[in-house]
Amino acid sequence: MSLPMDYDVVIAGAGVIGASTAFHLARRGMRVAVIDATGPAAAASGASDGAVSVASKKPGVMARLATASLLYTRSLAQTGGPLHGIYSARPGYFFATDPAEELALDSLISKLSGLGGPVTVTADGNGNIGLAGLGPTVRRLVTLTGEGHMLGFEAVRAYLSAANIETIWPDRLMRWEADDAGITVETSKGHLRAGKMVAALGVSSAALFPDLPVLPRAGQLIVTDRAPGQPLPGALTAASYLIAKTAERRALPNPPVVIDPLVTGQFLIGSSREDHGDPSRVDFPTMRKLVARAVEVWPALGARQIIRTFAGIRAAVIDGMPIVGAVPQTPRLILATGFEGDGICLSAVMGREIAAMVAGEPVTDGLAADISALTPRRFEIGEARSA
Amino acid sequence: MNEPVVLVVGAGLAGFSAAAEIAGAGLRVLVVEQAAAPGGAIHRQPLPGIAYPVASAVHRRRWTQVTASVRAQGDRIEIRYGCRFAGLDHEGTALLTGARNALVRPRALVIATGAAERVRPRPGWTLPNVMTAGALQIRTKTLGKAPDGRILLGGSGPLLLAAGAELVKGGNPPVAIIEAGRPFRHVIGSLGLPLPYLREAAGYMATLLRARVPVLTGTEIVRIEKRSGALTLHVESSSGGRTFDGDLIGLHDGIRASDHYAAASSIPVMRAGDCREALGARAALADGRAAGAALVAELTGTVPASAKDSSRIERERRAQRRLARIFGHDGSARLAALPADTVICRCENRTVGDLRALGPVPTDRDLRLHGRFAMGACQGRFCTEWVRALTDPSHAGSPLGAVRLPAHPIAIADLLDAGGIADNPSTGE
Ligand SMILES: Cc1cc2nc3c(=O)[nH]c(=O)nc-3n(C[C@H](O)[C@H](O)[C@H](O)COP(=O)(O)OP(=O)(O)OC[C@H]3O[C@@H](n4cnc5c(N)ncnc54)[C@H](O)[C@@H]3O)c2cc1C
Ligand SMILES: Cc1cc2nc3c(=O)[nH]c(=O)nc-3n(C[C@H](O)[C@H](O)[C@H](O)COP(=O)(O)OP(=O)(O)OC[C@H]3O[C@@H](n4cnc5c(N)ncnc54)[C@H](O)[C@@H]3O)c2cc1C
Repeated sequence: MSLPMDYDVVIAGAGVIGASTAFHLARRGMRVAVIDATGPAAAASGASDGAVSVASKKPGVMARLATASLLYTRSLAQTGGPLHGIYSARPGYFFATDPAEELALDSLISKLSGLGGPVTVTADGNGNIGLAGLGPTVRRLVTLTGEGHMLGFEAVRAYLSAANIETIWPDRLMRWEADDAGITVETSKGHLRAGKMVAALGVSSAALFPDLPVLPRAGQLIVTDRAPGQPLPGALTAASYLIAKTAERRALPNPPVVIDPLVTGQFLIGSSREDHGDPSRVDFPTMRKLVARAVEVWPALGARQIIRTFAGIRAAVIDGMPIVGAVPQTPRLILATGFEGDGICLSAVMGREIAAMVAGEPVTDGLAADISALTPRRFEIGEARSA
Repeated sequence: MNEPVVLVVGAGLAGFSAAAEIAGAGLRVLVVEQAAAPGGAIHRQPLPGIAYPVASAVHRRRWTQVTASVRAQGDRIEIRYGCRFAGLDHEGTALLTGARNALVRPRALVIATGAAERVRPRPGWTLPNVMTAGALQIRTKTLGKAPDGRILLGGSGPLLLAAGAELVKGGNPPVAIIEAGRPFRHVIGSLGLPLPYLREAAGYMATLLRARVPVLTGTEIVRIEKRSGALTLHVESSSGGRTFDGDLIGLHDGIRASDHYAAASSIPVMRAGDCREALGARAALADGRAAGAALVAELTGTVPASAKDSSRIERERRAQRRLARIFGHDGSARLAALPADTVICRCENRTVGDLRALGPVPTDRDLRLHGRFAMGACQGRFCTEWVRALTDPSHAGSPLGAVRLPAHPIAIADLLDAGGIADNPSTGE
């Protein structure tokens, strides 16, 4: 059988991971098609915050990958790079209002010094240090430099505007069949023939790979009106967020609130962590809990209005790490999912490394062990199911 | 008495008739109304201590009947003014803001929030002192007198004539009424309208004629400019262009149903009146009653009574269709020809040019995330119709993205003040 090749690679899923992968493959000169069941940034990447942060990552693999991605994101943000004007550097603030959170700040500081840069602590002390406007219950504030921010939907658009990428939507991946020469991809619009396929479907991966331990974790986000001045130079994050991300799941002492000042002058306040996958579920009591803590630590928010709330669905994996690599039974198919709350941050490096895998080249020096820790082989994956 | 109430939003014709129907079946009702007085769009009552010179005898009689039916229910109906409903979440919790902020868990919800007034974007439509004709009407009704200054009314639809007549009665006749359609050409069609419509229209026309208010038909507003403190309205008809100077301009291009309250919830939700389908006052009354009866049937497991109301609603639907034909005119060419700097979304100040920059077939996500349409305070309530007309008329009427809570901006301070959830906001339990 020798069907004509339409593309070198078909990517299913136009979230930030699929988009970055497309960019990096196109840069290698490959012909790439990106299909999405809905459109660009239709799922998590269009309904999230955009912290590019090492501080919030679990020590070990995740913190090292985030470090590599932060450095690489910065270089893609140089003049002429795809993320120029999309990624911006900002200070980061982590606060504690109780002893458990203060302890989490201690671990943060030792984690960062263990990594030896590029994120460093520029101030550490009681609430009056470094940032005017904090509420009186803040006992300790750690100020970081070296991290930054980019909005997922802007990154998606930036990556996909590279040359040699064909975008097709709405077009849903249904099933596929690999043979010696390539892979035939069946979609809701018809068939595509390619050398390889990358499935970057976020939480929807579970629909096609029922054995994959990917679970939905919803998060509600709140958008305010514009503040007249914007005295908050970077995101203000509760130390309980660090506890939520690094410890086993358990009841948190305080809501893991993040107050993110947007360039529009609005604030984005997040976020809950709920075990369901329904993005229409937004509720007043949760909203109230989040803003109560936000106002407590940043009292100026008390004068703002809420103009909109929404929920995004993170794709969480049982062991807290993404799933990236070729499917054992179908090596022409590469999976990339499970980025939970870190996909925007990791998108730059993951796109680059997945492109290397597709090209059959070794991953970047120094990352080999960490990338192979993400392999789907760590789980039993049975036959794929069609959507 | 701590049992959860049925929450009715809106103290207009539909809300009040629904409340009377539901309370009549023995259920407790809380009516919340954002304004300081009841009446809704058409029967808006004047503020306390102000005489009301504009209502006709027919209107007064109808309103007296409706309020009597509410009063007859005694304390089974509680009415709270200055209280705004901010939406119902998926768990069935409603947020009320205003005089008393509260999170409540009603046993059912009736949304009777009225129609939205359409205003087609035109250059200058966002200038200060340019408002909707309906807003001018409400102002006249609540204050018992028309605003001062030279007033111009323009756009299209029967409401312009009603608003003009009310300004006359309020003591300040408009300088002119600019109507894009040619309603007076449709003599035969008009004869098919129900008698009360003709009587009402004849009354408005007589008032306008007596006050010598010029009514220009087949005339389009091309743009509005601010010139040395006043506003200049540029209009165009087949016989050429001319200008009018004024201090206040009321624009109006019809009314439409308006439903921006999140739908999926764990309690029964009904819509009634103009917010469901914009069919005017008589239909709103019948629709409120029908919604109330249907809700009672659902809550008590009984069968709803009479089909009288549905034939009334069907009659009004036919009459409204006829009215729409009589006032019909084609504004789509004007819309397509708007200059690039014309504002489409006034919340985020997005223009026709910003919309065109998104390419020929932007997705809804593109329109929202990159175009910022429907991302402001009103969540696209006013611009979506025009964004659709300019990008994808085949999706006219479909919302731009999911409906988000809250239904309108809420002060963070109000949400914090709302406290824990109560089944019954009166007892706090
Ligand atoms: C509330 C919240 C806050 C967050 N904050 C941050 C943060 O601050 N920093 C950070 O780094 N990350 C954050 N994240 C996480 C981040 O948003 C995600 O990790 C990232 O967007 C995942 O990208 P993705 O490309 O893997 O998946 P997605 O963005 O979910 O993309 C998957 C795409 O696949 C498409 N699709 C699904 N099924 C099919 C099919 N059968 N065929 C074709 N297409 C299909 C979907 O339409 C979708 O476009 C947050 C997430 C949430 C929910
Ligand atoms: C501007 C305008 C002018 C009109 N003029 C005429 C006319 O001259 N003649 C005519 O026959 N018909 C007129 N109509 C149509 C007529 O008013 C309606 O058909 C009728 O009033 C509909 O009744 P309703 O109860 O459905 O809505 P409404 O009468 O509009 O009542 C809705 C009520 O809900 C309240 N409300 C809305 N949102 C909230 C919230 N979130 N929380 C609390 N309260 C809320 C509003 O303040 C209002 O009092 C007009 C309509 C509009 C919009």
